[in-house]
Amino acid sequence: MLSYLHLELLQVLRNRQYLFFTLAVPVGFYLLWSSVFTGDRPDPVTGLAAPVDIMVSMASYGALGATLMTTGVRLAIERRSGWLRQLRVTPLRPGTVIVVKTLAAMSLGLPAVVLVGLASVVWQGVRLDLAQWIAITALLWLGTLPFAALGTMIGSLAGPDAAQPITVGAYFALAIGGGMWMPLSVLPQFVQDVAGWLPSTRFAELGRAVAAGHAPSATAGLVLTAWTLGLGALAVAAYRRASVTA
Amino acid sequence: MEAISVEGVAKSYGNVRAVESLSLRVPAGQVVAVLGPNGAGKSTTVGMMLGLIEPDAGRVEVFGKTPAEAGAAGFVGAMLQNGELAPNLTVREVVGFVRGLYPDPMPLDEVLELADLTDLAKRRTGRLSGGQAQRVRFAMAIAGAPKVLVLDEPTAALDVESRRTFWAGMRAYAAHGRTILFATHHLEEADENADRVVVVARGRIVADGTPAEIKQRAGGRAVRFTLGGQPAAGLERLPAVTTVEVDGDVATLHTADPDTVVAALYGTGLTVRDLEITTPALEDAFLSLTAANR
Repeated sequence: MLSYLHLELLQVLRNRQYLFFTLAVPVGFYLLWSSVFTGDRPDPVTGLAAPVDIMVSMASYGALGATLMTTGVRLAIERRSGWLRQLRVTPLRPGTVIVVKTLAAMSLGLPAVVLVGLASVVWQGVRLDLAQWIAITALLWLGTLPFAALGTMIGSLAGPDAAQPITVGAYFALAIGGGMWMPLSVLPQFVQDVAGWLPSTRFAELGRAVAAGHAPSATAGLVLTAWTLGLGALAVAAYRRASVTA
Repeated sequence: MEAISVEGVAKSYGNVRAVESLSLRVPAGQVVAVLGPNGAGKSTTVGMMLGLIEPDAGRVEVFGKTPAEAGAAGFVGAMLQNGELAPNLTVREVVGFVRGLYPDPMPLDEVLELADLTDLAKRRTGRLSGGQAQRVRFAMAIAGAPKVLVLDEPTAALDVESRRTFWAGMRAYAAHGRTILFATHHLEEADENADRVVVVARGRIVADGTPAEIKQRAGGRAVRFTLGGQPAAGLERLPAVTTVEVDGDVATLHTADPDTVVAALYGTGLTVRDLEITTPALEDAFLSLTAANR
């Protein structure tokens, strides 16, 4: 199981697309937006100063992307290429495969969180307690679970050609609706209305709450848990179906 | 104990019956070729043995376990058709990983040596030629030193030289008393590499025996020589001769045992010239065998 996790991480870390989209883009955007949106006035929704708010947004954005891409697109490609079929004829079981893939996807969000955090410290002089950094990192790891489930579902149902645009579509929709690109306070009212129900909003809220110095709301935990259970059940069903016919 | 036991399995895809009540028992240590034309149901049968395909009826056991249990226990290694590898991992990483999944694997260097991959160990699998990738698939199949090796058309898309290397590696692996079952549509491959040949056509077994028996059933061999004006009478009475054909000045004696025929032929006092022993158009004979049960 550990050797498979190692193999999965190795494959993704050697992929230039991963490095670009999930590391370079969030860090680059952080440097850009935090330079554009200066000023000390805290955001009316999150109550955070811009450099901190954007840090959480971009860290969440990177983690979300890494998780969705490494599950959705990779799973679809591996199903088509026959690689998963080859693993099926080894002692590795399909259940282990999906547990490891989920763990790998969650963990591959971490580099973005750490790098964006570092950028905020170095570039904007953001200062948080060590406990806050640790809590943000841990929550933005655990909180990717519903997205790993969503990606697994997409990767089990769609072929590689379809999985790419579907995943990217879900990625951008969740990022925008979750207030990761722009603060929710500047988005249209109807987006703000649905935002509270989105896992991505609540995911980013985990980081924002800790950065603001308090625990995330119970509602955030409930919404994320509900999404995790719902998408998780669908993902398991879709993956089972896919691995029988694979 | 039987390594592989297949009992009356059947599998249909829609209206197409891929396999119909097929039964096969493979004792431990045997090397079996499942021979048949494309579409005969070989891959479906192999898929059911590996637990990749659920049979509609019947059951499959590998060392007394279901295919899934046997797979999880590390009894089975397999080489499938057309599977791509993980493109940004090296040969050594892929083979080493699969090897590590088995309880009692071969040393990695030995695996790479056997599959002729030592020089390619550090290459990423995405940069291999088709034949090289096929060798990696073979290495993955044997890396865990499984008791049962199942190969689905292992030499499809290989050139002649690669084929020779592949079968040399396969025979070296088989020499350790392991059970091997491979699917092929080449009679020569079955003949040269298997202890037993099971001929499959239209989802059923149409013949099952040693390679020599199968070839005999598929038409035997022919001893041909130039008569040079000598009489052909009496040739049909030579031992082991089944039929005699005379075409112009050339006599052809059909037989299952050319050694005996040739020995007897020199005993007749005839002047034998241009002697040749042929296995008449193996592929044709094989087609006639698979077509016979239509």
